[in-house]
Amino acid sequence: MWERKYFKNIDYYLLGSVLLLVLIGLVMIYSATRNNQALTGGEPFMLVKKQLVAVIIGVLGMILIMFSDYRLPDLMYQIIYGFNLFLLLIVLSPLGLEIKGAKSWLNVGGPFSLQPSEFAKLMMILTLAKHLAGKEEIDSFWDLWSPFFHIMPPLILILIQPDLGTTLVFFFFFFIMLYIAGYNGRFLLGLILTGVIILTLIFLSHYYFGTPLPFKEYQIRRMTIFLNPESDPTGSGWNVRQAIITVGSGRFSGKGLFQGTQGRLGFLPENHTDFIFAILCEEWGFLGGFVLLSLYFTMIWRCLVITQHSKDKYGTLVAAGIMAMFIFHILENIGMNLGIMPITGIPLPFVSYGGSSIITNLLAVGFLENIWIRRQKLIF
Amino acid sequence: MQGLNRLLIRKRTTLLLLGIFCIIGILIGRLFYIQGIKSGFYQKLAEDQRLRDIRVEPMRGTIFDRNMNTLAFSFDTESIYAIPHQVKNPKDDAKIIAEKLKLPVNEIYNRLLKKTSFVWLKMKPLPEEVQSIMEARIYGVEVAQKAQRFYLRGSLAAHLLGISGIDNQGLEGIEKYYDQYLRGIPGSEQAEYDSKGNHIPLGERRFIQAQNGASLVLTIDQVVQYITERELEKAVLENGAKRGAVIVMDPMNGEILALANYPTFDPNQYALYPHAARRNWVLADQFEPGSTFKIITSAAALEEGVVRRNSQFYDPGFIVVEDRRLKCWRAGGHGSQTFIEAVENSCNPVFASLALRLGSEKFLEYINAFGFGKQTGVDFPGEAKGIIPPLSRIKNVELATIGFGQGISITPLQLLNALSVIANGGELLQPHLVKEIRTPDGKQVIKEFGKNTIRRVISKQTAEELSLILQSVVENGSGNRARIEGYSVAGKTGTAQKPQGGVYGQERIASFIGFAPVEKPRIAAIIILDEPQSPVKYGGVIAAPFFSTIARDTLKYLGVKPESKEEGNVQISGENSIIVPNLLHLPRDEAVTTLSRVNLTYRGLGSGGYVIAQSPKAGVMVKPKTTILLYYDEESRYGKELSTVVVPDLTGLSVLEARNVLTKVGLQLTPSGAGIAFKQIPTPGTRLTLGATVTVYFVATGYN
Repeated sequence: MWERKYFKNIDYYLLGSVLLLVLIGLVMIYSATRNNQALTGGEPFMLVKKQLVAVIIGVLGMILIMFSDYRLPDLMYQIIYGFNLFLLLIVLSPLGLEIKGAKSWLNVGGPFSLQPSEFAKLMMILTLAKHLAGKEEIDSFWDLWSPFFHIMPPLILILIQPDLGTTLVFFFFFFIMLYIAGYNGRFLLGLILTGVIILTLIFLSHYYFGTPLPFKEYQIRRMTIFLNPESDPTGSGWNVRQAIITVGSGRFSGKGLFQGTQGRLGFLPENHTDFIFAILCEEWGFLGGFVLLSLYFTMIWRCLVITQHSKDKYGTLVAAGIMAMFIFHILENIGMNLGIMPITGIPLPFVSYGGSSIITNLLAVGFLENIWIRRQKLIF
Repeated sequence: MQGLNRLLIRKRTTLLLLGIFCIIGILIGRLFYIQGIKSGFYQKLAEDQRLRDIRVEPMRGTIFDRNMNTLAFSFDTESIYAIPHQVKNPKDDAKIIAEKLKLPVNEIYNRLLKKTSFVWLKMKPLPEEVQSIMEARIYGVEVAQKAQRFYLRGSLAAHLLGISGIDNQGLEGIEKYYDQYLRGIPGSEQAEYDSKGNHIPLGERRFIQAQNGASLVLTIDQVVQYITERELEKAVLENGAKRGAVIVMDPMNGEILALANYPTFDPNQYALYPHAARRNWVLADQFEPGSTFKIITSAAALEEGVVRRNSQFYDPGFIVVEDRRLKCWRAGGHGSQTFIEAVENSCNPVFASLALRLGSEKFLEYINAFGFGKQTGVDFPGEAKGIIPPLSRIKNVELATIGFGQGISITPLQLLNALSVIANGGELLQPHLVKEIRTPDGKQVIKEFGKNTIRRVISKQTAEELSLILQSVVENGSGNRARIEGYSVAGKTGTAQKPQGGVYGQERIASFIGFAPVEKPRIAAIIILDEPQSPVKYGGVIAAPFFSTIARDTLKYLGVKPESKEEGNVQISGENSIIVPNLLHLPRDEAVTTLSRVNLTYRGLGSGGYVIAQSPKAGVMVKPKTTILLYYDEESRYGKELSTVVVPDLTGLSVLEARNVLTKVGLQLTPSGAGIAFKQIPTPGTRLTLGATVTVYFVATGYN
């Protein structure tokens, strides 16, 4: 299992950009939280330390995954799928912690808590990849519905929490994986359109016939406020507005490391999680934002290359799923920081504070590297 | 491999890559839009929400007199105030406050209950009171630094300085006019606040220093101002006048040395005085000038050559213009007189006829050129313009009355400024009150206001000639009470009737306007007494003496040397007095010899070989070595004077009156028609040989 050539075959572009992002994340978390007494309890490095613990766990897990074969025994996928459902179920049980209206956390002792929906993404990608890779034929209608039924149970559990952001991530990587798996593009488009039409009908029936909505009113407001944050600048528009102000006030070269004011003075909430990108742009300016986006681009580009070079379909689909997960996180989080995407609390990969998120992402990188190391060398 | 279609994957991943390119591109574009293009806007929003301004008031500029004596300045005092709704226990707190500030409890309690956001508890408290209030730490009670304006000399120049409000705003006078300079620029102290509005003690702080207001150096001299106010008060009180005013200015550069109104007020406590007492009416109100305006008529007539100083006039006591009979102030008239004498006598018909000779267009041109009918541009708010009727409304009757100062209104400053034209050799200047704007500490000059010539109005010669005529008014005529020992004075009296309800009533405005010394004028001044209640209301009697005192004391204070010990030193009696001989019509040499024989000196004015006027007049007693002014002219009139006479103005006379007048001067009348005279050939002022005939046309009128 252990071979020297593995080291040679590691994708250092991917690893390098990921580690740089993690580093940037730690610095920004420090910047965002060092003065927040309520969060740190007077110890400025409190959250950085907690994040570092998660990073170490994540890196260890990543190394472990890198050097084991990504192709697991069939039984393992059933176990993983079952474990995933189990975690998502107990988070909804009285054991789960409710924070800000979402029952998404499990206390695992001491200051640490888990967010099963984060791990659920990776677990779902693995099992879905396995499911899709096992399909010989993908031409019939049923071929489209079986993967759909595959993701539905965990998806519904996540939606119950409610964690709309993660739900959307699920949909996104689901479609990308189907697409890479070779599903008919028109089929997929039809599916998306069907979804849109159903959603529209739900809303229309709500407004015309008063049928209940599957979403809460505040969720809809949060989703749509980014279109016009000035309509409620001190209420639901506050976060978007402050995020844009934070980014904009950083100007071209930033206010300087630790010189940001928006987070420190409490204007921008969630500045170490959802809005850490804004803090980075405030302190490091456009230059910092550009560098960060470049790192993400590098990362995604490597994901694509890995997707192309996997030696089997399963590997290709895992890589594509992980890539899709990253893309969606990045697009959604940064877009929301810049006021062009709705507010859904999903973290910025590797940078936002959040142990479950960073561990999941590092493990995902472990899978990517694993696939890369064992790629098929093209010999012409 | 099972179902691994690399071609499809390659195709689809490439499409995906394109999509990613687009997404990253959009994000970078958006980032650039926010952080590049709109960053200034967001930076400002960010600053606005975290930095709050605390206004730092600038110190209002000091006002100095021309010699850098402080007249008005500001200083910081501490004041104790309360924010009523923040005071938790008004009843208990009021007790504590009252005790500490030594004020009645009830009063404090009532103030604390006021439904305002702010209430003063004590202005200018003692330092120990401030200390004890601060120690008491009553929530809602605070100590503020507040600038206080102080007028150092109390009521001195009060109308001029004006007043400023408690928020450092100029409300009246110079304080208002120069408010933008005096006010300064408020600074601010910006402090950082968090999103919940809590002040961050160790947060960012920015200080923008307040810029204190510039200081002003007035043209006013506090000593002259003092002299002026002292004499004005005396003049008003002695004559029981309703009010009075004096302006003293330097006619050579337009600087106003003193400006006073009486009654006056103390700007430190202006609220205690009625509004009327605060009004600087000498600039804000307009009057009918009366006789003092004859100076303007004279200047125009001399400049236009329609009269000469020795022109002969005959005043029968009135003049008829169109169908109106305009009376001279002196019943019976002044009879035959030269122009100089007419000015000395302030003879109305003469000035009416001068105005008629000038014609309305020409006369109006001069009136405008002298600055009447529009603001002088003095740096003071609310200056009146005066009223000069438009050309279309000036018919002959109006023209004639304007000639002696009726039917127009002017401000005293306009008149004084016009007199300055005569004094300074013919130029209209812009009068001003502020000499310099200086830095707040008064050390460096920022802006200087020098002499500002508006236009030349009359020639130097005319100005000098008129100066001498006006000097003669003081030395020989109606203004003789304005004489000052040791200095020559030129001036003119005025006694205007006050129109009351459309007709002239009993009330008068007595005035005197003049300048001194005549040769090299240093000051020009006007004194006005409104509605004097004294038995005699003539400006020459009640206003002129105060002009004399003000001018004398001012000239002495200014260090103006008497022109010569004896100059103008007219004495009525005395051991060494000499009677001035009559030098009229003598050749120059002969006159000079005569003077030296009687131990008098002379100063000649004008050119020519013959004396045509002298000052003082023959018969006046003077000290030895007194300088007698001699006015020369080119031609000897002596011989001619004997054989020629000037045709008097007969307009308005009856046939009988006209015959009498003509007979007196040695001419004959050929009447035409009956009634009153309206036209004559030759015209008035023509020189005729004795015994010549004047044809006069008479017209029948209703009232004759």
